[in-house]
Amino acid sequence: MTPAQAAEPDQGGPEFSDRLKALRLQEYGLAAVVVLLFIAGSILKPETFPTWDNVRNMLTQASVIGVLAIGMTFVIATAGIDLSVGSMVAAAGVFGGILIGTDGTSSLVFILGAIAFATLLGVVNATAVAYARIVPFIATLAMFSIARGVALLLNDKLPVSLLDLNGGSFGDPRPFSLLWFGNGRIFGIPASVYVFVAITIAGWIVLNRTRYGRYVVAVGGNREAARIAGVPVRRIIFSVYVLSGLLAGVATVLLCARLGSASPVSGNLYELDAIGAVVIGGTSLAGGRATIVGTFLGVLTFALIFSLMTQLNLSTEVQQVTKGLIVLGAVLLQRSESRY
Amino acid sequence: MTKLLEIHNLVKEFPGVKALQGVDLDVLEAEVHCLLGANGAGKSTLIKCVSGALEPTSGEILLEGEPLPPGDPAGTLKRGVATIYQELDLVADLSVAESIFLAHEPRRWPLLDLDKMYRESEALLARLGHDAIPVRAKVGRLRPAAQQIVSIARALSGDVRLLIMDEPSAILDEGEIKTLFEVVRRLTAEGVGVVYISHRLDEIRRIGDRVTVLADGRTTATGLPATTPTDELVEFMVGRKVDQLYPERPVSTDRVLLEVRDARRLPAVRGVSLKVHAGEIVGLGGLVGSGRTELLRLIYGLDQPEGGEFLVEGKPLRPNRPGHAIRRGLGLAPEDRKSQALVLDWSETKNVTIADLSRFSRVLLDVRKERASAHEQLRSLNTVPDDPDRVVRLLSGGNQQKVVLARWLLHECRVLLLDEPTRGVDVATKAEIYRIVSDLATSGLGVLVVSSELEELVGICTRILVMRDGEIVAEVAGNVATEHELLRHAVAPTDAPELTEEVV
Repeated sequence: MTPAQAAEPDQGGPEFSDRLKALRLQEYGLAAVVVLLFIAGSILKPETFPTWDNVRNMLTQASVIGVLAIGMTFVIATAGIDLSVGSMVAAAGVFGGILIGTDGTSSLVFILGAIAFATLLGVVNATAVAYARIVPFIATLAMFSIARGVALLLNDKLPVSLLDLNGGSFGDPRPFSLLWFGNGRIFGIPASVYVFVAITIAGWIVLNRTRYGRYVVAVGGNREAARIAGVPVRRIIFSVYVLSGLLAGVATVLLCARLGSASPVSGNLYELDAIGAVVIGGTSLAGGRATIVGTFLGVLTFALIFSLMTQLNLSTEVQQVTKGLIVLGAVLLQRSESRY
Repeated sequence: MTKLLEIHNLVKEFPGVKALQGVDLDVLEAEVHCLLGANGAGKSTLIKCVSGALEPTSGEILLEGEPLPPGDPAGTLKRGVATIYQELDLVADLSVAESIFLAHEPRRWPLLDLDKMYRESEALLARLGHDAIPVRAKVGRLRPAAQQIVSIARALSGDVRLLIMDEPSAILDEGEIKTLFEVVRRLTAEGVGVVYISHRLDEIRRIGDRVTVLADGRTTATGLPATTPTDELVEFMVGRKVDQLYPERPVSTDRVLLEVRDARRLPAVRGVSLKVHAGEIVGLGGLVGSGRTELLRLIYGLDQPEGGEFLVEGKPLRPNRPGHAIRRGLGLAPEDRKSQALVLDWSETKNVTIADLSRFSRVLLDVRKERASAHEQLRSLNTVPDDPDRVVRLLSGGNQQKVVLARWLLHECRVLLLDEPTRGVDVATKAEIYRIVSDLATSGLGVLVVSSELEELVGICTRILVMRDGEIVAEVAGNVATEHELLRHAVAPTDAPELTEEVV
């Protein structure tokens, strides 16, 4: 029991009313971490780290996880979880790939197909959680397996090349064609980064400045109280899993566009990266407290750390261990400042 | 008689706040020492310091002349100081017996001695006069009142010298309170000292030997006899006189706002019909478990009724649709504010506006207007401190209730359903809440209020309906009702005379 909880109500000094600002403090802290990591990288690897190329690279890679993490923020805000986003990315990619077939020429078919398929998988999750009342962990763990299986089944375990959409190569994609989303640039900044930033801004507005966003956090904060206040609790829970699926579709487009192919084994463990970014951002796994800014900074933090570790020639195994430790540390930090 | 517990000049500071600023208290062996104080006076902090849940900043706490280990709940328990907290802290999925012996399970190394656990649990519950509680049942499936009994049994499962009870009667009905008091007396007869915290002054008179009053973290009076007149005690609590606890009774009009026809949901509600008119406060009395809360839930659409009609201003409500009920002008202040009414980590503003956000949103929310509107309502209810950004978790029970009321004021609701509106609220704030409710009725709202405090129903209601076993068994006009009469209706008619004599 922390003193803050035990304090008799109504005697709280001004610092207690500042509790709301604690979230923002965590965001400042995380922003400082991002800056410090960048400085550390620049000192350790002055030739390769603080270069445009490297920054571009980091941001491009971060944008896929970033889009997933925004959706995950909404799910976690309702005290839920979506373990299936990585598998959904693979399934949606392969589905889009076989949809365009061998003589396919339209990027739009792939983009809409992949997003629609991922959204459909999200609807399955949503139905299982909101209406069949299956615990989110289990429902999405099932989808984690199902979607991966579907990805492998759809094209007989083979990846689909998407280079035909661009005349068989990566070279110079037309604006708003598929490969442009992975390799095109505006003012030197990758197109995928614009997508990520746009979705982040939209996510912030929806979460903080719309009735829907308020309802999402209310459901996570106190489900029974939300219901008594007239919040359509089930519809809200349904919607966040659909949203998570939809954004998995968007992430699929960004990933496949960058790789020029849709692989049934892609997106492996992306859910962990997304959840990790959300948690170190300060969104509470218990629901009721969510921050898009935090998630955005969490994504950048992860991207910087792994870029730096890669440049320092640390193996992916070491990176995985580090990732896990960071998430553990973030949860511990969150607990020590919460009221239990 | 010897002093069991001595507290000298106890101070507890939190960053920026002095929750306790020098508290003195003696508890004798075999006495019931009542602790009185408004919400926020420091009662909970004090008992947490004694039980070891908090470490005091300075001061002495002695049990039988020896200091208690500060900030060490386990060590304090070992010394024989057991505490029953206000909020039930039971694990819903554990059985009754497992809850009673949680963390000190009887063992036949290395296995649990389940037989012994069940046997001793049954013995403890029998000692409390509640041997009907099944020791193998999950705690979560018991009514709150029965859960309270389990908490008490758990406190008694060790060797107890001093028992601290924080508002143990808050969720008990009259019969259960009587049983509780019998248990307390039996314990004091064994020499156990009891610290008893309650907002109900009548209880203090019934069970207490001496009284200590806290206000603003200080003892304003200690060792008073329990027979001290109410006015005097209240003055010590608030530092001023409460002008008048109950406001003028509002006058009913003949316009029907809410009508319930033959509502059913077995076993709790067995065919209830009632009307609430504009301008009146209708009380729903009865014992805990008589179906009052369940009836409110049916009206408001939280549960699916098995039958019956619910009409607001003549038009039927869709069953089991709280959102619809709200749009039609209903508002509910539920029994348990913390778990049912509020998002505790949210600001007052967000908690006020959640039921009526469309008022501030076209596409986007106008957060400035939202805050201003919420602030206006909170201010009209005299919520302290005057800060709409304050996190609701940090408010006292009375102010939390005001936040809930502000929500329905903002929504301009037509019919207000109140379930135990003053539970856990201090006397001064109670008077304020009665005023607010009365003003609302006078302005044309219909109010339906459930309360276990008969005095409160008699004090504020235009009409009082008494429920028993899921049915309305009596209707009494508020200005002629007596607690005695309500209680007589609330208990089964056959054993009424005996019970009322003892209780009233």
